[in-house]
Amino acid sequence: MTFSRVLAALIALPALYFSFLLYETGNPWFALLLLIATSLGLFVYSSDSAYAYRYLFPGLLGFGLFVIFPLLYTVYISFTKYSSQHLLTIDRCVAALLDETFTSGAGTFSYKLYRQDDGRYILLLRDNKDPNRAFISSPFLLKHSLAAEKPLPLEPLLPGQQPPGKPLEFEQVMRERLFMSMRGCRALLPDQTLLSLESLQEFTAHERLWVFNKDGTLTSRKDGTVIRPDLKRGFFVNNKGDQVGPGFRTFTGWDNYLQILTDPRIQVPFLRIFIWNVAFAGLSVLGSFAVGLLLAVLLDWKELHFRKLYRLLLILPYAVPGILSILILKGMFNQEFGVVNSILRGIFGVAPEWETNPWGARAMILIVNIWLGYPYMMLVCTGMLQSIPHDIYEATAIEGATPSTDLFKITIPLILPAMVPLLIGSFAYAFNNFVVIYLLTGGGPTMVGAGIAGETDILVSYTFHLAFRDTGQNYGLASAIATVIFMIVATLAWINLRANRAHFKI
Amino acid sequence: MTPARKLLLKKILAHSLLIAFVVIVLSPFAMVVTASFRKGNFAPSKILLQPQELSLEHWKYVLGIPYKEVINPTTGETRTIQAGSPPLVWLWNSIKVSGAATIGIILLSGTAAYAFSRIRFTFRRPLLTGLLILQMFPAVLMLVAYHTILDDVGQTVRSLGLNTHPGLILVYLGGISTNIWMIKGYFDTIPASMEESARIDGASHFQAFLRVLLPMSLPIFAVVFILSFIFFMTEYPIASVVLTNTDTYTLAVGAYSFLGEQEKLWGRFAALAVLSGVPITVIFLLCQKFVIGGLVSGGVKE
Repeated sequence: MTFSRVLAALIALPALYFSFLLYETGNPWFALLLLIATSLGLFVYSSDSAYAYRYLFPGLLGFGLFVIFPLLYTVYISFTKYSSQHLLTIDRCVAALLDETFTSGAGTFSYKLYRQDDGRYILLLRDNKDPNRAFISSPFLLKHSLAAEKPLPLEPLLPGQQPPGKPLEFEQVMRERLFMSMRGCRALLPDQTLLSLESLQEFTAHERLWVFNKDGTLTSRKDGTVIRPDLKRGFFVNNKGDQVGPGFRTFTGWDNYLQILTDPRIQVPFLRIFIWNVAFAGLSVLGSFAVGLLLAVLLDWKELHFRKLYRLLLILPYAVPGILSILILKGMFNQEFGVVNSILRGIFGVAPEWETNPWGARAMILIVNIWLGYPYMMLVCTGMLQSIPHDIYEATAIEGATPSTDLFKITIPLILPAMVPLLIGSFAYAFNNFVVIYLLTGGGPTMVGAGIAGETDILVSYTFHLAFRDTGQNYGLASAIATVIFMIVATLAWINLRANRAHFKI
Repeated sequence: MTPARKLLLKKILAHSLLIAFVVIVLSPFAMVVTASFRKGNFAPSKILLQPQELSLEHWKYVLGIPYKEVINPTTGETRTIQAGSPPLVWLWNSIKVSGAATIGIILLSGTAAYAFSRIRFTFRRPLLTGLLILQMFPAVLMLVAYHTILDDVGQTVRSLGLNTHPGLILVYLGGISTNIWMIKGYFDTIPASMEESARIDGASHFQAFLRVLLPMSLPIFAVVFILSFIFFMTEYPIASVVLTNTDTYTLAVGAYSFLGEQEKLWGRFAALAVLSGVPITVIFLLCQKFVIGGLVSGGVKE
């Protein structure tokens, strides 16, 4: 009993510490999530009534954290203005503004470096107007550029006192290229005035530009302007309504959804993309099923030689990692230099535009996707053909049936019921097959007058482009479209489950 | 036409159709092998090379071995080329990430599948249905959320943020629901009587699971291991958003980075593709019987 208590404490303590850290760094939601997860875990493993959940907890926790939470988070983002222009949370935006400085009248300082015995340096700064006003830093290393480092804190140097170490002349600083590391170096006076090295020999005093007021507004030290956050626009604005500084994420309600419904640059492509998406998934599944079934039937013919070898070679597209084969095929379908077109040109004298013509691109995508998908269908069909008793075919042979009658009148009707769930599953998979589209065409060629939408984009690749490849990086809009797709997919999944209740043994 | 001749004709027809298919299937792979040994950067387009076109430069690059390249044919001036972060590192990164994620997936989904298969509890059915529906959501659509979450978490815990392998592994751990269904399907086929007799002999629930059920279920765990491992080895979309630093690239991200918009380094891509594709393909072919069996009989019950 004591052992389990110690164990519980050992788990709880770091969890509490991390929640505190997360809370402190401005992520209260993550902190809350961590607290809930830890308490649930401790409850599950200490209470007898939750016995089954001892096995489920790790799995469900992973599923909750990395599927359900991101899903809800996506829905949440879809209600916010969040893009490359509104990237920061409001807290981080304020912090960025508070870091801004301006050159103040606090004067200029000349500097000198003192080399210590251990190879470190001490910085001495002397006010150009008042030579008695001097400051020194503690020893620091001077190997990398100091520009990105935190400002060096300075201490006052008493008049007449000398800093320790050997002073370096300016020529020496130049010769040893120490200047390169010193460039952009910042230092902080005891009164919090910020100095930075901007010319060769002088540090200039800076002051922070903004003062944070209690009511959330910021006041400029330079000219007294007051700016306040405009939560609707996601920017800090001054009295005239002009934007100041970077934008921040803000809640916008249904704006992103209204944009899908009303903005013609989104609405028109959305519909066309949806239609192509359905056609792409349907034709891919039908095509690979047809090819796979044909090959399976051929290879099921017992009198044929080399069946095993054929089967092994024909499942290769399934065994080779998809991303590699897709990229190889992409190179072969290059419309100017690709091998496919040089063969077609040689034999038929045609060179289809696989890249620039929308129909050519769509045809290429379907060919590649069928090439990738038929081995799975072939393997599954092979398995199902085993379950058809052979004497049926012997009986039809006596009646004089042709192979095609056998195929359409006997084989397909017999295996189709068992195939339906697999076909629906493949359809759902193809419907969201991002990798094929993204790697083959990237959605291109561009759809005329439709923003960044491409003629071969499917919904997921379109969403991905909106979020990560568009210049605007419109995460909010992308998440809204993602939410709509979630609804579509959930409906499909639910219908699928209803239709195939018998197949899913719960 | 005699029946014997008719049969022969049919056989010839079948063979020629199959051979045509085999040619279509094999030629891309043959061409990529050739492209990896071909001087210069050409898209896969030839199966046989002239002797003077042969070169090992792409293999040397991929393996991180320095080699000399002539930059000025008239003066014969050369420069030494060596990969800054050798593609072998990417392969190793992929193995690390996939290995860790797969082990995690097996631990999480194995225990969960046990509860779903053997214990009757209140929310069993809704949880199972929920898993089935939610697994259909493409992870690509949650990339924005993954990106934001990792970015925010990285502000606090640097080693779990963007551009880190642990962060990517954590995201991968979400993909357990298919595996739970597969393993549960297998557990369902094993009669519970063995465990029950172990329970009567005084074993706890967990002992029965660990000592009795698990040893009998090794085949399905092998299937899940191989499938997940190969999937993560070649996963592109999530890895491409999470990893932005060449040192942290995984195989798929690195391979695609050779084929950028400006410059298409087909030779290097081909060498990397052969180097990484061959072992994965061989493993898959060796295990295909189990894998296909698992795919067909797992979640979907006839």
